[in-house]
Amino acid sequence: MSAPCSPTPAGAFSRRALLLAAAAGSAALAAGCTNGAAEDPADAVTPAQADRLAAQVEVQERLVADYAQALAASPQLAASAAVLAAQSREQLDRLRAAAAQPAPSSGATAGTSAAEAVPAEGAVAWLQARVAAAADAHARACPDFTGGRAALLGSIAAGLRAQAGQLS
Amino acid sequence: MPDDGTSGTTAATGPDAAAPEDAALQEALAAAYAAIWGYGVVGAAVPPETRPAVATAEQAHRDVRDELLTLLSSRDVQPVSAEAAYDLRFPVLSAVDAAALAVTLEEGAATAWTWVLDQAAERGTRELAVAALTATELRAVVWRAQAGRTPVTTALPGLPTS
Repeated sequence: MSAPCSPTPAGAFSRRALLLAAAAGSAALAAGCTNGAAEDPADAVTPAQADRLAAQVEVQERLVADYAQALAASPQLAASAAVLAAQSREQLDRLRAAAAQPAPSSGATAGTSAAEAVPAEGAVAWLQARVAAAADAHARACPDFTGGRAALLGSIAAGLRAQAGQLS
Repeated sequence: MPDDGTSGTTAATGPDAAAPEDAALQEALAAAYAAIWGYGVVGAAVPPETRPAVATAEQAHRDVRDELLTLLSSRDVQPVSAEAAYDLRFPVLSAVDAAALAVTLEEGAATAWTWVLDQAAERGTRELAVAALTATELRAVVWRAQAGRTPVTTALPGLPTS
Protein backbone atom coordinates (compact mmCIF):
# COMPACT_ATOMS: atom_id res chain seq x y z
CA MET A 1 0.00 0.00 0.00
CA SER A 2 1.35 3.38 -0.88
CA ALA A 3 0.84 6.71 0.83
CA PRO A 4 -0.51 9.92 -0.62
CA CYS A 5 2.24 11.89 -2.27
CA SER A 6 1.38 14.99 -0.31
CA PRO A 7 0.63 13.82 3.20
CA THR A 8 -1.75 15.91 5.20
CA PRO A 9 -0.68 16.69 8.74
CA ALA A 10 -2.76 14.48 10.97
CA GLY A 11 -5.47 16.41 12.68
CA ALA A 12 -4.35 19.63 11.11
CA PHE A 13 -7.34 20.64 9.16
CA SER A 14 -9.98 20.34 11.83
CA ARG A 15 -8.02 22.71 14.01
CA ARG A 16 -6.90 24.77 11.03
CA ALA A 17 -10.51 25.36 10.15
CA LEU A 18 -11.05 26.74 13.61
CA LEU A 19 -7.96 28.89 13.41
CA LEU A 20 -9.13 30.13 10.07
CA ALA A 21 -12.46 31.06 11.54
CA ALA A 22 -10.79 32.90 14.37
CA ALA A 23 -8.33 34.60 12.03
CA ALA A 24 -11.18 35.67 9.80
CA GLY A 25 -12.91 37.22 12.75
CA SER A 26 -15.95 35.05 12.31
CA ALA A 27 -17.66 35.17 15.66
CA ALA A 28 -20.33 32.77 14.52
CA LEU A 29 -17.85 30.14 13.45
CA ALA A 30 -15.67 30.64 16.49
CA ALA A 31 -18.66 30.38 18.76
CA GLY A 32 -19.53 27.13 17.06
CA CYS A 33 -16.33 25.49 18.25
CA THR A 34 -17.17 22.80 20.70
CA ASN A 35 -13.97 20.82 20.93
CA GLY A 36 -11.98 23.44 22.80
CA ALA A 37 -9.44 23.93 20.04
CA ALA A 38 -10.20 27.64 19.80
CA GLU A 39 -9.19 27.96 23.43
CA ASP A 40 -5.77 26.45 22.90
CA PRO A 41 -3.36 28.27 25.22
CA ALA A 42 -0.97 28.67 22.30
CA ASP A 43 -3.51 31.00 20.73
CA ALA A 44 -3.90 33.17 23.80
CA VAL A 45 -2.39 36.61 23.37
CA THR A 46 -0.55 38.46 26.11
CA PRO A 47 -0.68 42.27 26.19
CA ALA A 48 2.91 42.37 24.94
CA GLN A 49 2.04 40.08 22.05
CA ALA A 50 -0.99 42.22 21.24
CA ASP A 51 1.30 45.24 20.93
CA ARG A 52 3.70 43.34 18.70
CA LEU A 53 0.86 42.07 16.54
CA ALA A 54 -0.44 45.62 16.19
CA ALA A 55 3.03 46.56 14.96
CA GLN A 56 2.82 43.88 12.28
CA VAL A 57 -0.60 45.19 11.26
CA GLU A 58 1.04 48.60 10.79
CA VAL A 59 3.80 47.04 8.69
CA GLN A 60 1.17 45.50 6.44
CA GLU A 61 -0.88 48.69 6.29
CA ARG A 62 2.19 50.56 5.08
CA LEU A 63 2.79 47.90 2.46
CA VAL A 64 -0.79 48.09 1.20
CA ALA A 65 -0.39 51.87 0.95
CA ASP A 66 2.92 51.41 -0.87
CA TYR A 67 1.27 49.10 -3.38
CA ALA A 68 -1.49 51.63 -4.00
CA GLN A 69 1.01 54.42 -4.46
CA ALA A 70 3.26 52.43 -6.75
CA LEU A 71 0.42 51.17 -8.92
CA ALA A 72 -0.92 54.69 -9.25
CA ALA A 73 2.48 55.96 -10.30
CA SER A 74 3.39 53.22 -12.76
CA PRO A 75 1.11 51.94 -15.52
CA GLN A 76 3.45 48.97 -15.84
CA LEU A 77 2.88 47.99 -12.24
CA ALA A 78 -0.82 48.71 -12.45
CA ALA A 79 -1.02 46.07 -15.14
CA SER A 80 1.36 43.52 -13.71
CA ALA A 81 1.09 43.81 -9.95
CA ALA A 82 -2.62 44.23 -9.29
CA VAL A 83 -2.89 40.62 -8.14
CA LEU A 84 0.02 41.08 -5.76
CA ALA A 85 -1.60 44.19 -4.35
CA ALA A 86 -4.83 42.28 -3.80
CA GLN A 87 -2.92 39.55 -2.00
CA SER A 88 -1.31 42.13 0.27
CA ARG A 89 -4.79 43.40 1.18
CA GLU A 90 -5.95 39.86 1.90
CA GLN A 91 -2.98 39.45 4.21
CA LEU A 92 -3.86 42.70 5.95
CA ASP A 93 -7.43 41.55 6.46
CA ARG A 94 -6.20 38.35 8.12
CA LEU A 95 -3.76 40.23 10.31
CA ARG A 96 -6.40 42.69 11.41
CA ALA A 97 -8.75 39.85 12.24
CA ALA A 98 -6.05 38.09 14.24
CA ALA A 99 -5.30 41.33 16.07
CA ALA A 100 -9.01 42.04 16.56
CA GLN A 101 -8.58 45.35 14.78
CA PRO A 102 -11.48 46.40 12.56
CA ALA A 103 -10.71 47.84 9.17
CA PRO A 104 -11.04 51.63 9.03
CA SER A 105 -14.59 52.51 7.99
CA SER A 106 -13.31 54.97 5.41
CA GLY A 107 -11.43 52.22 3.64
CA ALA A 108 -8.23 54.14 4.13
CA THR A 109 -5.32 52.49 5.84
CA ALA A 110 -4.66 53.47 9.41
CA GLY A 111 -1.40 53.99 11.16
CA THR A 112 0.56 54.67 8.02
CA SER A 113 3.30 57.19 7.94
CA ALA A 114 3.51 60.01 5.44
CA ALA A 115 3.72 58.63 1.94
CA GLU A 116 7.13 58.55 0.34
CA ALA A 117 7.18 59.55 -3.29
CA VAL A 118 7.61 56.75 -5.76
CA PRO A 119 10.60 57.52 -7.98
CA ALA A 120 9.67 58.31 -11.55
CA GLU A 121 12.22 55.76 -12.69
CA GLY A 122 12.52 52.52 -10.83
CA ALA A 123 9.05 52.15 -9.37
CA VAL A 124 9.37 48.36 -9.56
CA ALA A 125 12.59 48.33 -7.58
CA TRP A 126 11.09 50.79 -5.08
CA LEU A 127 8.13 48.53 -4.52
CA GLN A 128 10.23 45.38 -4.42
CA ALA A 129 12.35 46.84 -1.63
CA ARG A 130 9.25 47.62 0.40
CA VAL A 131 7.74 44.18 -0.12
CA ALA A 132 11.02 42.56 0.89
CA ALA A 133 11.26 44.77 3.98
CA ALA A 134 7.74 43.82 5.03
CA ALA A 135 8.53 40.14 4.49
CA ASP A 136 11.62 40.49 6.66
CA ALA A 137 9.66 42.29 9.38
CA HIS A 138 7.00 39.59 9.54
CA ALA A 139 9.60 36.81 9.45
CA ARG A 140 11.48 38.40 12.34
CA ALA A 141 8.30 38.82 14.35
CA CYS A 142 6.95 35.33 13.64
CA PRO A 143 9.02 33.44 16.26
CA ASP A 144 7.82 35.87 18.95
CA PHE A 145 4.33 34.38 18.66
CA THR A 146 2.82 30.97 19.23
CA GLY A 147 -0.09 29.08 17.77
CA GLY A 148 -2.14 30.35 14.89
CA ARG A 149 -0.61 33.81 14.95
CA ALA A 150 2.87 32.39 14.43
CA ALA A 151 1.51 30.38 11.51
CA LEU A 152 -0.19 33.45 10.07
CA LEU A 153 2.88 35.68 10.31
CA GLY A 154 5.12 32.97 8.87
CA SER A 155 2.74 32.39 6.01
CA ILE A 156 2.50 36.09 5.21
CA ALA A 157 6.28 36.43 5.35
CA ALA A 158 6.67 33.56 2.89
CA GLY A 159 4.02 34.97 0.60
CA LEU A 160 5.62 38.39 0.54
CA ARG A 161 9.09 36.99 -0.06
CA ALA A 162 7.68 35.26 -3.14
CA GLN A 163 6.01 38.51 -4.21
CA ALA A 164 9.34 40.32 -3.97
CA GLY A 165 10.81 37.74 -6.32
CA GLN A 166 8.10 38.48 -8.85
CA LEU A 167 8.92 42.17 -8.77
CA SER A 168 12.59 41.73 -9.64
CA MET B 1 1.76 10.81 16.57
CA PRO B 2 -1.77 10.21 15.39
CA ASP B 3 -1.79 7.97 12.36
CA ASP B 4 -5.11 7.95 10.59
CA GLY B 5 -3.76 6.19 7.56
CA THR B 6 -3.56 9.34 5.48
CA SER B 7 -0.36 10.85 6.76
CA GLY B 8 1.97 8.73 4.74
CA THR B 9 4.11 7.99 7.77
CA THR B 10 4.94 5.16 10.06
CA ALA B 11 3.84 5.85 13.61
CA ALA B 12 6.64 6.95 15.87
CA THR B 13 7.21 5.34 19.21
CA GLY B 14 9.64 7.74 20.89
CA PRO B 15 8.95 8.98 24.38
CA ASP B 16 8.10 12.47 23.16
CA ALA B 17 6.07 11.40 20.15
CA ALA B 18 2.91 12.80 21.68
CA ALA B 19 4.36 16.26 22.13
CA PRO B 20 2.61 18.56 19.67
CA GLU B 21 5.81 20.16 18.42
CA ASP B 22 7.52 16.84 17.81
CA ALA B 23 4.41 15.46 16.14
CA ALA B 24 4.32 18.45 13.80
CA LEU B 25 8.01 18.01 13.02
CA GLN B 26 7.30 14.40 12.16
CA GLU B 27 4.70 15.59 9.67
CA ALA B 28 7.25 17.95 8.15
CA LEU B 29 9.65 15.03 7.90
CA ALA B 30 6.96 12.95 6.20
CA ALA B 31 6.39 15.79 3.73
CA ALA B 32 10.12 15.92 3.00
CA TYR B 33 10.17 12.18 2.31
CA ALA B 34 7.23 12.54 -0.04
CA ALA B 35 8.89 15.46 -1.83
CA ILE B 36 12.15 13.57 -2.29
CA TRP B 37 10.26 10.65 -3.80
CA GLY B 38 8.03 12.90 -5.87
CA TYR B 39 10.88 14.87 -7.38
CA GLY B 40 12.17 11.62 -8.80
CA VAL B 41 8.96 11.44 -10.79
CA VAL B 42 9.18 15.11 -11.70
CA GLY B 43 12.75 14.73 -12.94
CA ALA B 44 11.79 11.90 -15.27
CA ALA B 45 9.11 13.99 -16.97
CA VAL B 46 10.74 17.37 -17.47
CA PRO B 47 12.99 18.42 -20.35
CA PRO B 48 16.75 18.31 -19.78
CA GLU B 49 17.04 22.05 -19.27
CA THR B 50 14.71 21.85 -16.27
CA ARG B 51 16.47 18.97 -14.53
CA PRO B 52 18.99 21.13 -12.65
CA ALA B 53 16.08 22.93 -10.96
CA VAL B 54 14.56 19.57 -10.07
CA ALA B 55 17.85 18.39 -8.61
CA THR B 56 18.20 21.58 -6.59
CA ALA B 57 14.70 21.25 -5.20
CA GLU B 58 15.17 17.59 -4.36
CA GLN B 59 18.42 18.37 -2.58
CA ALA B 60 16.70 21.09 -0.57
CA HIS B 61 14.21 18.55 0.70
CA ARG B 62 17.03 16.10 1.45
CA ASP B 63 18.71 18.80 3.51
CA VAL B 64 15.47 19.45 5.40
CA ARG B 65 15.04 15.73 5.96
CA ASP B 66 18.54 15.43 7.38
CA GLU B 67 18.04 18.45 9.65
CA LEU B 68 14.78 17.03 10.96
CA LEU B 69 16.30 13.59 11.52
CA THR B 70 19.07 15.17 13.54
CA LEU B 71 16.68 17.36 15.51
CA LEU B 72 14.26 14.57 16.36
CA SER B 73 17.02 12.17 17.26
CA SER B 74 18.55 14.77 19.57
CA ARG B 75 15.24 14.74 21.43
CA ASP B 76 15.21 10.95 21.70
CA VAL B 77 12.23 10.84 19.36
CA GLN B 78 12.19 8.01 16.85
CA PRO B 79 11.79 9.71 13.47
CA VAL B 80 9.07 8.45 11.18
CA SER B 81 10.18 6.40 8.20
CA ALA B 82 9.62 7.07 4.54
CA GLU B 83 7.02 5.05 2.74
CA ALA B 84 8.19 2.59 0.11
CA ALA B 85 6.00 4.33 -2.47
CA TYR B 86 3.45 7.09 -2.71
CA ASP B 87 0.24 7.51 -4.65
CA LEU B 88 0.27 10.10 -7.38
CA ARG B 89 -2.90 12.14 -7.41
CA PHE B 90 -2.82 12.40 -11.19
CA PRO B 91 -0.83 10.86 -14.04
CA VAL B 92 2.44 12.61 -14.82
CA LEU B 93 2.64 12.40 -18.58
CA SER B 94 4.13 15.76 -19.55
CA ALA B 95 6.35 18.57 -18.35
CA VAL B 96 3.26 20.50 -17.29
CA ASP B 97 2.05 17.51 -15.28
CA ALA B 98 5.47 17.28 -13.67
CA ALA B 99 5.41 20.94 -12.71
CA ALA B 100 1.94 20.47 -11.26
CA LEU B 101 3.24 17.57 -9.19
CA ALA B 102 6.11 19.73 -7.98
CA VAL B 103 3.56 22.35 -6.91
CA THR B 104 1.70 19.67 -4.99
CA LEU B 105 4.90 18.56 -3.28
CA GLU B 106 5.90 22.07 -2.29
CA GLU B 107 2.41 22.98 -1.12
CA GLY B 108 2.33 19.81 0.97
CA ALA B 109 5.57 20.88 2.59
CA ALA B 110 4.20 24.39 3.13
CA THR B 111 1.15 22.98 4.90
CA ALA B 112 3.37 20.90 7.14
CA TRP B 113 5.58 23.84 8.05
CA THR B 114 2.71 26.17 8.88
CA TRP B 115 1.48 23.41 11.16
CA VAL B 116 4.90 23.32 12.80
CA LEU B 117 4.62 27.08 13.34
CA ASP B 118 1.22 26.55 14.90
CA GLN B 119 2.39 23.77 17.20
CA ALA B 120 5.95 24.72 18.07
CA ALA B 121 6.73 25.52 21.67
CA GLU B 122 10.37 26.43 21.05
CA ARG B 123 11.40 29.66 19.40
CA GLY B 124 14.21 27.91 17.51
CA THR B 125 11.71 25.56 15.95
CA ARG B 126 9.60 28.49 14.75
CA GLU B 127 12.73 30.09 13.26
CA LEU B 128 13.44 26.85 11.42
CA ALA B 129 9.85 26.61 10.27
CA VAL B 130 9.52 30.11 8.87
CA ALA B 131 12.75 29.66 6.90
CA ALA B 132 11.61 26.30 5.53
CA LEU B 133 8.16 27.65 4.70
CA THR B 134 9.64 30.56 2.79
CA ALA B 135 12.00 28.31 0.85
CA THR B 136 9.23 25.95 -0.17
CA GLU B 137 6.98 28.80 -1.30
CA LEU B 138 9.76 30.26 -3.43
CA ARG B 139 10.12 26.93 -5.18
CA ALA B 140 6.36 26.59 -5.54
CA VAL B 141 6.22 29.91 -7.38
CA VAL B 142 8.62 28.63 -10.02
CA TRP B 143 6.66 25.42 -10.52
CA ARG B 144 3.29 27.19 -10.64
CA ALA B 145 4.64 29.28 -13.51
CA GLN B 146 5.83 26.20 -15.35
CA ALA B 147 2.48 24.53 -14.74
CA GLY B 148 0.77 27.53 -16.32
CA ARG B 149 -1.03 28.57 -13.16
CA THR B 150 -1.94 32.12 -12.37
CA PRO B 151 -1.33 33.84 -10.14
CA VAL B 152 1.96 32.20 -9.29
CA THR B 153 2.00 33.68 -5.80
CA THR B 154 -0.40 33.03 -2.96
CA ALA B 155 -1.36 35.39 -0.17
CA LEU B 156 -1.12 32.80 2.58
CA PRO B 157 1.13 29.86 1.71
CA GLY B 158 0.41 26.75 3.71
CA LEU B 159 -2.85 28.02 5.18
CA PRO B 160 -6.27 26.98 3.92
CA THR B 161 -8.06 29.40 1.69
CA SER B 162 -11.01 31.18 3.22
